[in-house]
Amino acid sequence: MIFVSFYRASTFALQNFWRNLWLSLVTILILTLTLYSISIVLTLNYVTDQAIRIVKEKVDVDIFFDLGVPEKQIIEAQTFLKNMSEVKEVQYISADQALENFRTEHADDADIQAALAELDENPLQDSLIVKAHQVESYTTILSRLDQSEFAEIIESKDFDDSQEVIDTISSASNTITRAGYVLSGIFIFIAVVVVFNTVRLAIYAQSKEIGIMRLVGATNWFIRSPFLLEAILYGCIAALIVLGLLFFSVQTAAPYLNNFFAGYEFDLMAFFRAQYLTVFLAELAIAVLLSIVSSMIAIGRYLRA
Amino acid sequence: MIKLKNVWKTYSGNVHALKRVTLHIKPGEFVSLVGQSGTGKTTLAKIIIAEERATQGRVIIGGWDITDIKRGDIPVLRRQIGVIFQDFKLLPRKTVFENVAFALAVAGAEQKKITTIVPQVLRIVGLEKKSARYPDELSGGEQQRVSIARSLVHRPKILIADEPTGNLDAINVQGITELLLKINSFGTTIVLVTHNPDVVNGLKKRVVTLDHGEVVSDQQIGRYMI
Ligand SMILES: Nc1ncnc2c1ncn2[C@@H]1O[C@H](COP(=O)(O)OP(=O)(O)OP(=O)(O)O)[C@@H](O)[C@H]1O
Ligand SMILES: [Mg+2]
Repeated sequence: MIFVSFYRASTFALQNFWRNLWLSLVTILILTLTLYSISIVLTLNYVTDQAIRIVKEKVDVDIFFDLGVPEKQIIEAQTFLKNMSEVKEVQYISADQALENFRTEHADDADIQAALAELDENPLQDSLIVKAHQVESYTTILSRLDQSEFAEIIESKDFDDSQEVIDTISSASNTITRAGYVLSGIFIFIAVVVVFNTVRLAIYAQSKEIGIMRLVGATNWFIRSPFLLEAILYGCIAALIVLGLLFFSVQTAAPYLNNFFAGYEFDLMAFFRAQYLTVFLAELAIAVLLSIVSSMIAIGRYLRA
Repeated sequence: MIKLKNVWKTYSGNVHALKRVTLHIKPGEFVSLVGQSGTGKTTLAKIIIAEERATQGRVIIGGWDITDIKRGDIPVLRRQIGVIFQDFKLLPRKTVFENVAFALAVAGAEQKKITTIVPQVLRIVGLEKKSARYPDELSGGEQQRVSIARSLVHRPKILIADEPTGNLDAINVQGITELLLKINSFGTTIVLVTHNPDVVNGLKKRVVTLDHGEVVSDQQIGRYMI
């Protein structure tokens, strides 16, 4: 019996949908815009978060030691740094290793290779590359190192402070997200009003039917369900469209983004592909929730009368 | 079957549509309800189907006290009481068959039940050959028969007819009245609201007369007297 009722309610819902095709299309359009703007905001959030994570990961300090410092002391310094809780890892690069790296990095550059061949001794120093868990910790780590016994064997420190880059990204991202949320909020409001109106018009158009349904003993749920289903249908269609739109947007934007993030573990398209079911379900949930809430208000108003 | 105990209905603006109405209608009875326009007949019918609530008094239908009926229980009540109106209340875009089937469909009946019951009730009202027609392809009398057929699908114990012949010519009035008598002969209790003296006098059944919301006369084999 539940199945039969569901089938009949779906038929009524589809009839309503076709009867006011233009209204249905406008409703779907506005739901689509709403979902799309929410999705874009969330995607931008994700991208900037990733950007900040990557920039932060890139930050490290190179500590160069005086020439001729015995390896034993450098290892001691490495242990000293490693023992700090703020430090994530410390990599020891010997002068020989550094030269080797340099050589392979510029394997294609004939001039550099020629210049390297001229050298009779290695001009590079032994170094430690220090990575902290958090960007903010570097100052602490460095000042502690300065006060230690190792200060005198250190020739220079190369701290590439990316805080500025991070701040720029964060503040840009904050501005964009805030604007995005406002825009999404406006869209949500419009969507609720539009769905509400569409359902209300459908109810008015059916008021005679509804009156007769009630006379012959239809339950309120039976009367309500076609309109609810109609609204859910709008939500589903909108969610599908947005999924397609997002797919194309991401596909278009991905090459540029991947270029920007070249060399880092970041691929928006791959992320999207891996998560598309989650994305779709989220879109669907938002769309259906929006539709149900607004149509329930419209129906409630009518049935209370 | 229908018991009204000291029922009052007061609409906003202090309109007393019904005043101290006490009425017992036994199962299988055929009662005509007469009275001048605006005297509370429709209001009484609406109270019986819980479309309106009594301001005071008790309303008991088939042993069920519906005075304070819950909203969710109204559909259950409506399936036990058939109602027909002067304006038929048919859906113009549905065929005769679909209009009748509608009442079963909204109650969640299986398709099988629909295909057996609908032809049965259409046969009772004599429209089995016109089941594929649309309401505007039928005469007024036929349209009223469709609405009677629809009211019968749940095999109601009570049928309330509010001026069912008000829009019909003499021949059709006769036909509908005979149909109501036929349904009454199956054991269905009938409450017929009417302005038509010929109908009331021809029936030779119980007649309740309302005046300004009050029962002023109740005769077992009554006549129309206003
Ligand atoms: N919803 C309402 N609000 C306020 N007053 C109402 C309402 N419905 C009916 N009335 C009043 O209640 C009184 C009884 O109305 P009712 O419809 O029961 O009369 P009736 O006997 O059916 O009349 P008729 O023979 O013309 O159909 C009338 O005075 C009418 O104006
Ligand atoms: Mg009336």
